[in-house]
Amino acid sequence: MTGATRLADLKKSYRLGFHQPESAVFKTPKGLSRDIVSAISHHKDEPEWMHDFRQQSLMIFEQKSLPAWGADLSGIDFNSLHYYLDPSDRRSHTWNDVPAEIRDTYEKIGIPEAERRFLAGVGAQYDSEIIYHDLKKQWEDQGVIFVGMDTALKAYPDLVRRYFGTVIPPSDNKFAALNSAVWSGGSFVYVPAGVQVSIPLQAYFRINAANLGQFERTLILAEEGSSVHYVEGCSAPIYSSDSLHAAVVEIIVKKGARVRYTTIQNWSNNVYNLVTKRMLVEEEGVGEWIDGNLGSKITMKYPSVILNGKGAKGEVLSLAFAGPGQHQDAGGKAIHLAPYTTSTITSKSVSLGGGRSSYRGMVKVAKGAHGSKSFVRCDALLLDQLSRSDTYPVNIINEPDVSLGHEASVSKVGENQLFYLRSRGLSEAQATSLIVNGFIEPIVKELPLEYAVELNRLINLSMENSVG
Amino acid sequence: MIKHLQIKSGQKKIVPLILTGDPDGVTYSVDLLGRGAELTLLLLLFGQNSAKMPVNINVVHHSPETKSRVLIKGVITDNSRADISGLIKILPGAVGSDAWLSAKLLLLSETASGQVIPNLEILENEVKAGHAASVGRINETELFYLMSRGLSEPKAKELLIKGFFAGLLREFPQQYVKQAEKLLAPII
Repeated sequence: MTGATRLADLKKSYRLGFHQPESAVFKTPKGLSRDIVSAISHHKDEPEWMHDFRQQSLMIFEQKSLPAWGADLSGIDFNSLHYYLDPSDRRSHTWNDVPAEIRDTYEKIGIPEAERRFLAGVGAQYDSEIIYHDLKKQWEDQGVIFVGMDTALKAYPDLVRRYFGTVIPPSDNKFAALNSAVWSGGSFVYVPAGVQVSIPLQAYFRINAANLGQFERTLILAEEGSSVHYVEGCSAPIYSSDSLHAAVVEIIVKKGARVRYTTIQNWSNNVYNLVTKRMLVEEEGVGEWIDGNLGSKITMKYPSVILNGKGAKGEVLSLAFAGPGQHQDAGGKAIHLAPYTTSTITSKSVSLGGGRSSYRGMVKVAKGAHGSKSFVRCDALLLDQLSRSDTYPVNIINEPDVSLGHEASVSKVGENQLFYLRSRGLSEAQATSLIVNGFIEPIVKELPLEYAVELNRLINLSMENSVG
Repeated sequence: MIKHLQIKSGQKKIVPLILTGDPDGVTYSVDLLGRGAELTLLLLLFGQNSAKMPVNINVVHHSPETKSRVLIKGVITDNSRADISGLIKILPGAVGSDAWLSAKLLLLSETASGQVIPNLEILENEVKAGHAASVGRINETELFYLMSRGLSEPKAKELLIKGFFAGLLREFPQQYVKQAEKLLAPII
């Protein structure tokens, strides 16, 4: 099979651009007000403190202005969005209980297969509610909790109340405040001390209703000496009106624990993807973000590690892929607050067809964080003359005993590489795909297998549309 | 000091700068306007007492085959602080441009601090662009080695600081080297 027909087949087999008719049960009217926030809270039958938390967050949201830096967000009309939609009355625990239409959607993305092969637990988010949960028995025996955030609020009220909003308070930024006011769905993960969760926990997220903002809220708590890998993948059908995705992910890594959070995000090209993700890492803990941004109209996402205990380690791997009309403003942050902490940020971005990708990052070393080390590497690949790449790194060092390094490069696909590959019989599209896949390989090799495969396919598809 | 510089086709400019704690710092904006225009900007920073040293370097590549190199090295001691921000911008059509920005700081005292923000905005793909930044203190291993060869600690440190600056000083035009060495004498 030639490369061109293989690409064409892949394009045909690309099954993520579909959507099911909506069958919502409870949906708030468009716009945002105190009444709507109360309605969400009452519909979910939440405790009083959460209701108050939402109302306070709404006030903060109204007071805060849009960020003055970064991507252009003036196109968001907060009044034309639905802030809550509950697609199903039923909360189910076995696959057969899931409504047929929703099951069909998941069938198309391949969740059940993935579950059989790789996963022990699945929390699948369809619109705003977690509707399907399954957790392998062995983990329940170990005391691992992996449930929807709404369920957690009812089943583990003390744990949730103690940690909810502590890593990312509503006052952090406008979109964190918005999420805090109208959040629904997302996952709650609790790993007891010393428990090693060997197989990744995985949740799929989808936006399925036009004009629906998705505001999921995830909280992961890894007790001393435990370890867990959480995988989140997103794909969304294509719509004509703008959607907003403003999630908040809070992670607490206690002493000696290890948490890895992997995201492959592929929202449709009309989604504003504005996510606040932060990890608080205590002594000797390890926190890792692997963050791939392919879709969406505008992404602003800077996964952060706050290294709060001696010897804590943080790593951010960020991948951005900006096609026509897209602006990926992504990067990472590392805040060193304790001695002997280390951080690494690696960013790879690809821009093509007029897309713009920006690396925006920050490394801050506080006074007293002696012996800390940080290294930031960002590489950008520009595939044509229409595209753009920016690098905005901020390094603030208030402690002399540190080692900080930062390197960045911007390049295009090398003529020599291209010529060589073509002389071996590859078409230009194939050769370019190969080079791009090689460029992003350091990040792809950290992904679970099925994500790596999907990512390679998506990139090949984009190449086919842009080259030749 | 605020300066604006335009470099025309075929011109090659070398701008050597030494900053030792001017509170206004240095603001330099450079436009590379004609084909083949070249800029080499060399900046030596030396901060002591409670000097604040804001540095702002902007370079815009307007034309094809333009080249810019911005090399910054600073030694910061006492309570002083360096705030370095740089922006290299390559506009569409500036094909074959080559840009490099590097900023390196050596912190010598417990209360010295620094901030480095080297930005790139690249709107053309037929280019080479990169930047590097580093902040740290004197390498313990190197210091140990020199001391094991019989040098006193101050002497060993002096050699290492000289070495840190040497690469940059070598690029300075001859008449500036003496001046630079004189200014740096207090720390060395």
